[in-house]
Amino acid sequence: MTLEKFTRIIDLHGTETARWTKTLRGECESFVANNVEARMLLNQQWQVEESMAKLEVPSFPGLETRVLNQSLPERNRSFIEEVMNWLIPEESFGKQAWRSAMATCIPLVFGIVLGNYFSFGIGIEDDGFQYWDDELTMLSLTDYTETNF
Amino acid sequence: MQAVCVGSRSAYQRLVKRHLKSISHYAYRLLGNQKDTQDITQEVFLRLWINAQKWDSEKSKLTTWLHRIAHNLCIDYLRKHTRIQTQDSFDDEAAHSPANNDESTEETNDKTKLLREALSALPENQRSALSLCHYQGFSNKEAAAIMNISVKALESAIARAKRSLREKLTINS
Repeated sequence: MTLEKFTRIIDLHGTETARWTKTLRGECESFVANNVEARMLLNQQWQVEESMAKLEVPSFPGLETRVLNQSLPERNRSFIEEVMNWLIPEESFGKQAWRSAMATCIPLVFGIVLGNYFSFGIGIEDDGFQYWDDELTMLSLTDYTETNF
Repeated sequence: MQAVCVGSRSAYQRLVKRHLKSISHYAYRLLGNQKDTQDITQEVFLRLWINAQKWDSEKSKLTTWLHRIAHNLCIDYLRKHTRIQTQDSFDDEAAHSPANNDESTEETNDKTKLLREALSALPENQRSALSLCHYQGFSNKEAAAIMNISVKALESAIARAKRSLREKLTINS
């Protein structure tokens, strides 16, 4: 171990021996025990770290309010995002839960309307009713006049 | 964060409350004065709102991403403004810091003042590296990602910063 190498370790990991590399820890400790310059360096660095720990940042009392109250621009959202936000609103979900219920009803309403107009190949079996125009024609040809024999 | 992406203001407020302290502290440690710190912090959260969709959770943690925004804004600010101004501000506010208002010893106050001066005299990258690893609690890898430098470059910056602080404090004391 050299002083330069030890300085590098101190610069990188600080004065706490627990932070030093495990493989070099024992070597460093014995180097400190036997070297005056190393002890002086360790002491100087310890003083720096102590001062750094005491260095406080002032409080910013109005900052949170300022940040929260700043005007935020409306973001351009995609159509899908708009629809999803309408269906499942992020805010006050309880009050707007009806949206999901309403959206669930849309396929039902659509199905009713569609079924009213199209048969989709499903035939209604109704004998006698299907050929009612032919029946009328046959009836018209029949002579119902009463003849007196 | 996903809620912020779809425009939830309440989610945004929760994020502000969670990250405001660390962002403002980091900005203060780089800029050294309260007014600019507040401006930069406000800008960081505005950018969070505007660029929320750009954040990739697989690439970085939210706090790392926010610190990166803060770092870039602070560096831009420092490059635009004169260094003397920042240093003066550091000195002015040192007089109002809690350490000086406490009933601590004169020696401690002197040391704190010396340290403030030494810190403000450091180059931005060294001050930033030291602040991220020592005060903000980031790992070397995370701090390097925030500063957009390699881990080796970060370690080098930290080593130089510590050496510089040690030398200045030793000489002055």
